Amino acid sequence: MKLEKSRSWRWGINRWIILGLVVLGVFAARAYPPILPHVQLPAEAISGRLFTLPVIGDFYLSNTLLATLIGDVLLLILALFVRRAIRSGEMVLRGITGAIEALLEALYQMAESTAGKWAATIFPWMATIVMLVLVANWLELIPGTDSIGLIHHAEGAAEGYPVQEVGRLGELPVVTIVKADAEKAGEGESYVLAPFVRVASTDLNFTIGLAIISVVMSQVVGIRALGLSYFSKFLNVKTFFSRPLFGVIDFGVGLLELISETSKILSFGFRLFGNIFAGSVLLFVIGSLIPVFAQSAVLLFEFFIGLIQALIFGMLTLVFMAQATAGHAHEEATH
Amino acid sequence: MEAEKHMVGDIVLAATVLGKLIGAGLAMVGVLGGGIGIGIVSGGAVQAMGRNPDATGTIQTNMILGIAFAEATAIYALVVALLILFVF
Repeated sequence: MKLEKSRSWRWGINRWIILGLVVLGVFAARAYPPILPHVQLPAEAISGRLFTLPVIGDFYLSNTLLATLIGDVLLLILALFVRRAIRSGEMVLRGITGAIEALLEALYQMAESTAGKWAATIFPWMATIVMLVLVANWLELIPGTDSIGLIHHAEGAAEGYPVQEVGRLGELPVVTIVKADAEKAGEGESYVLAPFVRVASTDLNFTIGLAIISVVMSQVVGIRALGLSYFSKFLNVKTFFSRPLFGVIDFGVGLLELISETSKILSFGFRLFGNIFAGSVLLFVIGSLIPVFAQSAVLLFEFFIGLIQALIFGMLTLVFMAQATAGHAHEEATH
Repeated sequence: MEAEKHMVGDIVLAATVLGKLIGAGLAMVGVLGGGIGIGIVSGGAVQAMGRNPDATGTIQTNMILGIAFAEATAIYALVVALLILFVF
């Protein structure tokens, strides 16, 4: 009843706002046609050198790190909201806290059905990864991500574009990159954009870092569950003397387990990175081809990709951790 | 002499770009396997759901896991293509 009422009231205003935005978008795309930006795989530095470590090298504040920090802050704010909502004593949480409750409940049910009694140990790792990756991925949907930043001269093979001043912010000129005129190509100064915020998952450091955390912690959970006998999965000498022929095969399979553990890191890291980076390149390309409507559809697509990739990262973490706790006990029973 | 050198440079540049583009295109052939795999997985899952609608929840979870594994190989190909295009 209440939903019906608010809907009919909001529709009357919202549709005109959206129509106005669409018309404005058409005019803006006419005035400053979007161009394909320079695509760069490593994250751009947005600050000067912060400090230098002897072997590793210089440290900068990169734009993907800034996005990660924004994601962290958003998660902390959400956590405070949830805490306040729980303290208020309401039985039914509303709004954003209700959505988080629903998400966590679904995740916990999944953990319980997969991991059984180890669900309480595994759930924090999985839920943290899901929520961080989800927030990090969805930052891509906010306008200004990937498009507002510092302009600097194009270097090396990078193809730059001329800029045009559109206004001033105090002392600093505000510029926009414009399409190069055909006759003036090759002369004049060319610039590329280093955005302030770039989606964290388009940086291999973020995805591989999460993957290492996930794989290492699944070993830790396995050791907690099985004690030292967890390592018999990798160095399998149990059947080495009793059944020599199969013992050797079991030993070799154990060594293969080691390789599969390390390849999990690569598989985790590249899956998330590839999906989200390809998504942002797709957004660039579609935006430069069809400026107005098409990108909205692709943004909706990216919304689902971000959600699904976050769920998959968490779910695979859950499954690998649950496998680590299971050990070989049930296998021997079925022999 | 100078013009000839310039032309050789142009040819090398053109060959580099050509090699990059062809290489990226060839790398994406690997996506074929991922597509077939995802098709088989979801086909099987839909059949299973049709036979046993009560098990939809578990089947869906396992289907998404299977799709993720099948997709991973396709994503490797995609990453290789992206590396070729934007890094080298």
